[in-house]
Amino acid sequence: MKVEALTWLVLFLPLLAAGIITLFTLRNKAVSATLSIGAIVTGFVLTLAVIKFGGWDARELSVNWLSIGSLNVDFGLKLDALSLMMLLIVTGVGSAIHIYSYGYMRDDPGFSRFFACMSLFTFSMLGIVLANNFLQMFIFWELVGVSSYLLIGFWFEKPSAADAAKKAFITNRLGDLGFILGILIIFTALGSLNFTVLESGNSIAALGGMATLGGLLVFCGAIGKSAQFPLHVWLPDAMEGPTPVSALIHAATMVAAGVYMLCRVFFIFTPDALTVISWIGGITALLAALIAVQQNDIKRILAYSTLSQLGYMVMGVGLTAPEAGMFHLTTHAFFKALLFLGAGSVIIALHHEQDIWKMGGLRKKMPVTFWTFMVGTLALAGVWPLSGFFSKDAILAAAHENNLLLFILGVAVAALTTFYMFRLVFVAFLGDRRTGVAPVSDSKEAAQAGDESMRQARRLSYEPHESPGVVIWPLRILAVASVVGGVIGIEALFGGMFKPDAAHPHGLLAQLVYPFQHAPVAALSGLAAFAVGLFAAWKLYANAKTDPLPDKLGALSRAMANRFYFDEIYEATVIRIHDAIAAIADWIDRWIIEGFCIGLVRGGTDLTGRALRLVQTGNLQTYAFLFVLGVAVVLWFVLGK
Amino acid sequence: MNVSYLELLKLAAPETIVVLTALAALVVDLTSTRDLEARFRFIINGMIACAGCVAAIVWMLVMPAHANALEGMFVVDPLTQVVKIALLGLTLFTVLISMDSTFTEHIGEYLALILLAAVGMMFLVSAEDILMIFISLELTSLSLYILAAFNKRDVNSAEAALKYFLFGGMAAAFTLFGLSLLYGLSGATNLGQIAAALEDKGLDPLLIVAMVMIVLGFGFKVAAVPFHLWAPDAYQGAPTPSAAFIASGSKVASFFIFAKVMMIGFTGGETNGVHEIAGSAAWQQFVSGWTPVVAVVAVLSMLLGNLVAIVQSSVKRLIAYSAIAHAGYMLIGVMAHSGEAVASLVYYAVTYGLTTIGAFGVVAVVEARSKDDQLASFAGLSRRAPVVSLCMMIFMLSLAGIPPLAGFFGKFYVFAAALKTGAPNLGLLWLVILAIAMSAVSFYYYLQVLKQIYVADMPAGAEELRVPVLGQVVLGLIAVGVILLGCAPNLLVGVLQASIKAAGL
Amino acid sequence: MTPLAGYLLLSAMLFAIGLAGALTRRNAIIVLIGIELMLNAANLNFLAFWRFGEHPEALAGIMFVIFSIGVAAAEAAVGLALIIAIYRHYKTANVDEVNSLKG
Repeated sequence: MKVEALTWLVLFLPLLAAGIITLFTLRNKAVSATLSIGAIVTGFVLTLAVIKFGGWDARELSVNWLSIGSLNVDFGLKLDALSLMMLLIVTGVGSAIHIYSYGYMRDDPGFSRFFACMSLFTFSMLGIVLANNFLQMFIFWELVGVSSYLLIGFWFEKPSAADAAKKAFITNRLGDLGFILGILIIFTALGSLNFTVLESGNSIAALGGMATLGGLLVFCGAIGKSAQFPLHVWLPDAMEGPTPVSALIHAATMVAAGVYMLCRVFFIFTPDALTVISWIGGITALLAALIAVQQNDIKRILAYSTLSQLGYMVMGVGLTAPEAGMFHLTTHAFFKALLFLGAGSVIIALHHEQDIWKMGGLRKKMPVTFWTFMVGTLALAGVWPLSGFFSKDAILAAAHENNLLLFILGVAVAALTTFYMFRLVFVAFLGDRRTGVAPVSDSKEAAQAGDESMRQARRLSYEPHESPGVVIWPLRILAVASVVGGVIGIEALFGGMFKPDAAHPHGLLAQLVYPFQHAPVAALSGLAAFAVGLFAAWKLYANAKTDPLPDKLGALSRAMANRFYFDEIYEATVIRIHDAIAAIADWIDRWIIEGFCIGLVRGGTDLTGRALRLVQTGNLQTYAFLFVLGVAVVLWFVLGK
Repeated sequence: MNVSYLELLKLAAPETIVVLTALAALVVDLTSTRDLEARFRFIINGMIACAGCVAAIVWMLVMPAHANALEGMFVVDPLTQVVKIALLGLTLFTVLISMDSTFTEHIGEYLALILLAAVGMMFLVSAEDILMIFISLELTSLSLYILAAFNKRDVNSAEAALKYFLFGGMAAAFTLFGLSLLYGLSGATNLGQIAAALEDKGLDPLLIVAMVMIVLGFGFKVAAVPFHLWAPDAYQGAPTPSAAFIASGSKVASFFIFAKVMMIGFTGGETNGVHEIAGSAAWQQFVSGWTPVVAVVAVLSMLLGNLVAIVQSSVKRLIAYSAIAHAGYMLIGVMAHSGEAVASLVYYAVTYGLTTIGAFGVVAVVEARSKDDQLASFAGLSRRAPVVSLCMMIFMLSLAGIPPLAGFFGKFYVFAAALKTGAPNLGLLWLVILAIAMSAVSFYYYLQVLKQIYVADMPAGAEELRVPVLGQVVLGLIAVGVILLGCAPNLLVGVLQASIKAAGL
Repeated sequence: MTPLAGYLLLSAMLFAIGLAGALTRRNAIIVLIGIELMLNAANLNFLAFWRFGEHPEALAGIMFVIFSIGVAAAEAAVGLALIIAIYRHYKTANVDEVNSLKG
């Protein structure tokens, strides 16, 4: 038996775990957690073994699943650098998150159910990664949708969680509509769904005029799953799920699936389709970064940040640099999982407080959380020599080569990223702990603050302290990965797959300086953007400790309240414009996209339904009359031709 | 014409077995189990009915036959055998989900009528002669009318049955009129002969009238817009197991015969095979004749069914409207007229029927305790009956077409077959686009049901639902079937494919 | 006018009369009678086509009629039973008053 066969185990162990937990061990917490964690850790180890003994070469395992006439579909595993790396990310980061969940969910009554859902989710995600054909991918694609629905809505007693879950599911389905249609078109025109067959068969030429359309329809799936503009609305709301779920969904897996899929089927995209893809990615990146600046909920900041980074990756793919997109996906998986788990650590320490303006001074109370969080922030901001720098640089370099407009946009987003992340760090971790009267929070939070006063009282009497080992060890491991992720040859690995002809740096030193030699403009712009963002954040928020008022109140009142340390000129110009843009972006997001478009569709169908049901009067002779009318119309239709 | 009656009886053995079982259930209930408690009577006679179905299935599995008796009156081939087995399976599950019911004391009659309806469907599947089609259609319909009226205490049941009956009677009259014209034009009653006689006649107006009238008769049976109006009222008012049978078995049989009439009667002789005749001018004419009609009906069904389902508050009514929408999806398969399309259609219809029986089974469980089928009665069901809720989730997700459940694969297969036929100009593409878009809409109301079950709070004072073990096992079996057929569609599709090849379609 | 055309015209009229009755009359029994008329119109068609067709020696047409008369009788029996059931609940056989299921 060849070592590749172990991949079957990697795929099916989580399903097995989910099955056993659901059927037998719902009442035994320890066994459930052990099964679930065991499945994914074993998966990680087995993946390592497959790579160690089998190498990164492309190969395929499959069994015949369906063969009916012209529809011949395998159930297969496609192993190559792309899928193996992704497999490592999903099982590796997933393992860290699973272990962390053991601590985080300890007191939850649905503990076993949680782990069953996590395992099911892992299984679905691994299925996407390993799929060797479109149909199989689509099936797991939907399974990811279902299991994320279960996870986001895990606390279904909370109406907001249930709504968020439903929204995530339905929004994803919208994108999937395009996806399945694209698959059907490809199948009809090319007669196969297998990736290897399609790739070698020069599918763009074979699709002819349908090529761009087919590619864009497939891209619709990625828009939904990777939460790209205009279907991004589900992702911030998905924060209603438990924090480990946010980490799992936003860091390593679900949202990455869209980008992964784009890279997997990169060969079907025409240049026109790629242009559209790159712009969608760019717009998402900018919009989300602008919105992130205005958020006060720690998880929402990270959520919008994820959106923005996903936009980056999609932009990278669109700029014909899928290897850069995948590289960024990999490093992002490390540091975003780290940031989410760090946020979770803060949230449990503060008894489910998520408003950064009610935090502060956590650096001394939670040193490990702080320092690991700091590493994640620096990596996300793209500081040399942390991992984020290299991957972001790869995308910026591609943009610099192909599309100057998108390059400028990318640099701007990089500056904004640094700005909002350091705003978060300055407010939540540095400075003094904020006590006393609760600051005015934005309306959305106020609305759901039913029993807030009681929890508030408990919170104030409670001194935050560092989280237990099961929580902070995953943080430490992920921090290490975030630091070194850029220089361990990941880029060369993906580069070797997508662009085998191009030169790639080998050796630590060469990798460290490669960006400056290869594309100095991009590298230096990235660093400059970091400097600008850091400076702005420091100017505005570094001394914000004595001011309990969130800047959300608007430019004017903040100018008065914060006059001691806010640079007033800066305030009057840059920030105000900036705030206005951010507010407009937020407004567009909330009302135009979410309220109007989706509302219109929903309202429209609802209204039509109400109107149409009037036909069903209950009177038999009305029915009979309509029946005869139907006959008459059909006859007229056919005879009249 | 020499007929060996023994041969005929052997060919029709499955039907004979089911008829005898129906009589046995009737006699046993009227004589020996008469004085027992209703629940035991249901179990004993239900077991007899199940045994009959199983015996017929086993007979067909053990004695595969391939014959055409009495010039198409009764055709037995591998394909009809598969469909009959599926029908008997659906009948079996209908009987099983009825076992817990309390709406009638006339248990023997009730079961006998279910079995007689099943016999009607089986003959329908085997018929390639318009006389047989008409008679077996009527046998099925008449049994179903009575089944719909079976809850004598419930005014809605009577109303549902009356509407179903009068609407159905009218549809039957139209169909018969259409058949008479068809007979007049061709001078034959056998589908193959009709096709041969019509081939050189072209498309005259009288033929169009005949075709339209026949199509609408089937449109009534499958509840396609605008011939659907009976369905919501009948589903809601009829006793739940009856509604389940109307929605599943009757639909499978009707769709099968619909496709058969379209493919044999209106395209060419049985011996020719569809693909050979596909090039001829006459075929083109026929296709251009009825395809637009079916297309319009399909579009209307998908739109109306899905949109009206959104605003329903009765779950049975919601399923009824969704059934109308599903009829629309299946009509796309009818239009594709290829061997693959028939396989996809049968797969879709069978899995749909199975899922619907399951969904109605859950409704029956809830209805038995809360006395109505309103969405609100499902609130918090997941905490009152976890197993049943899980089954309902699987059924709803399958109906919505979520992979890897059977509903997804059915849709995929039908749409792929339709696109395949339309290639390279992708003629049916716009229909498929609409179907996919509407199935996204459908997702919304299926999720509405699940939201009630899993999210909404339990009504105050609600306690755990005691679901009989048998009921749980049956629902669980159906759910497993839905998952299994979705994960390994080859189980059914492979058989269908082989039998279609063997049947020469 | 050939005899066949005459019969067809008659049957078409019969069908129309039956349909009109089924659509306009309130009493369920009259509606049922209308439907029976429509069925009989179809039967008349069969007979005419059989009698004036190319093969009057083949008995398909007349067989069809015999069966369909039988079916119509069964249908009438079921229909009357249903109307009685309705009458028990509503104390009326008017179809326009039976409309509690709708929407």
